[in-house]
Amino acid sequence: MVELKDVSVTYASGVDALNHVSLKINDGDFAFVVGSSGAGKSTMIKLLLKEIDATEGVVIVNGYNLRKLRRRKIPELRRTIGIVFQDFRLIPSMTVYENIAFVLRVIDAPYKYIRKRVPYVISLVGLQAKANSFPHELSGGEMQRVAIARALVNDPKLIIADEPTGNIDPELSYEIVELLKGINACGTTILMVTHEHDLVRHFGGRIINITQGEIVFDEILGGADEG
Amino acid sequence: MKVSGVRYLVQQGVDNVWKNRMMAFASFCVLLVSLLLVGISVLAYYNVNSIIGGIEEKNEVIVYFNDNTDDETLKEIGSKLRAMPNISEVVFYSKEEAYESLKASMAEYEVLFDSLGDDNPLVDAYRIKVNNIDEIQSTIAEIRKLDNIYSIRAPYDFVNILVQLRTILTWVMGAIILAMVIVSMVIISNTTKASVYARREEIQIMKYVGATDAFIRFPFFIEGMITGFFAGCMALVITWLVYDSVVNILQNQVALLNIIGMGSIIRFADIYIPVTVAYVVGGALVGAIGSAISTRRYINV
Repeated sequence: MVELKDVSVTYASGVDALNHVSLKINDGDFAFVVGSSGAGKSTMIKLLLKEIDATEGVVIVNGYNLRKLRRRKIPELRRTIGIVFQDFRLIPSMTVYENIAFVLRVIDAPYKYIRKRVPYVISLVGLQAKANSFPHELSGGEMQRVAIARALVNDPKLIIADEPTGNIDPELSYEIVELLKGINACGTTILMVTHEHDLVRHFGGRIINITQGEIVFDEILGGADEG
Repeated sequence: MKVSGVRYLVQQGVDNVWKNRMMAFASFCVLLVSLLLVGISVLAYYNVNSIIGGIEEKNEVIVYFNDNTDDETLKEIGSKLRAMPNISEVVFYSKEEAYESLKASMAEYEVLFDSLGDDNPLVDAYRIKVNNIDEIQSTIAEIRKLDNIYSIRAPYDFVNILVQLRTILTWVMGAIILAMVIVSMVIISNTTKASVYARREEIQIMKYVGATDAFIRFPFFIEGMITGFFAGCMALVITWLVYDSVVNILQNQVALLNIIGMGSIIRFADIYIPVTVAYVVGGALVGAIGSAISTRRYINV
């Protein structure tokens, strides 16, 4: 669950990135966050990951009140969140398997569990044949699938996808969102930041529009694929 | 953390040395040069100090007594001298011994000695060696307080030169070693920073997936330790070879050895244990700590 209560973020430079934003995303929801660049989308992601702190207001993520969260407890919070980046951010020196297993090693998961869980997640994103490939041997779409598998492997309550279709072919974008929708159907909350309006129109659902640091639109719309 | 987790992190550290071998090699070279410079400076300092000590040993203070001093009083003074804290050796040198020695050294002037007959113009004396030559002045002042002393002969000028030389040497060597340690730390820290910077994305990803700071730092720590360990081993081998060659050259310089004394040069075989420990442990520690400090900057995501 994500809850922002009257949250404002002002950077040291004086720029107001978020201005009295209130928002609630319940467990199991799928929400698109749209808005032009500089609207405050990235600031919101940084806020949810506690990379930055709110200047005002309360931020609650998966039961953690981020204002009260101590620095050494940040890893605990982040282990409940899966993150997918636009530029994939895979470790080039690691294979697909290692890139995903790495997340479980970070949380000190038992070796047996890693050996069972990683191939399962790789099969969920349909990359069994590429498990031993290195990132440079994969296409953009495949790399993003690895990134999604990595976000998923720890069974997080929330996945934040920051422009996950931004660096891949448009026809593959639909596949990626389908994949995220499938994960959401299993109960994981998904927050997908995008500026691709066609994609949003196609899938529909909850759409949150941020403009100049304020929420100007927060509605549930029917998608083209439902019609 | 579980044993398997620690094993994984150690393995990561070992793998990283090979994966980042260019950076590891750069750190290795910097550490090697730094360790060699500091190590050779320290060894040179100890040798020079040992040589000065050897020269000191050859110096003695001679205390002459009034001609009429009886044997009882001389014995009493002898035990007083032995009781003084800075005096290491007290040897009685009778006027008869001195006379014989003088006659032997001036054999060509035998006529002169014949003219003296049985009359011995010399006086009894004690030959004294001091522990700490720096304190020779105060020791002599204390000796002067004793009765029946005719005169004291001490190598003041020579002592002063030695003491000054050692003081200057201590400061100069200390400054050189300190400067080298600081310069080495700065260079190592920057080399490691470059290595950490090259992997900043990896560190960021680790942070985003919930890695603790300790988890991120540990492989860098191991990597630095391994690099430092090998640099220490290599420095040890080079030092050993260079040191033994220099000692071999010096051992052929008979004239020089006559001045400084054969035993003044420290043999490598006598010091290889502390040198090995210092190089290997020092290298591993500097490498490990340098790496751990450098990761701090990129860890705050």
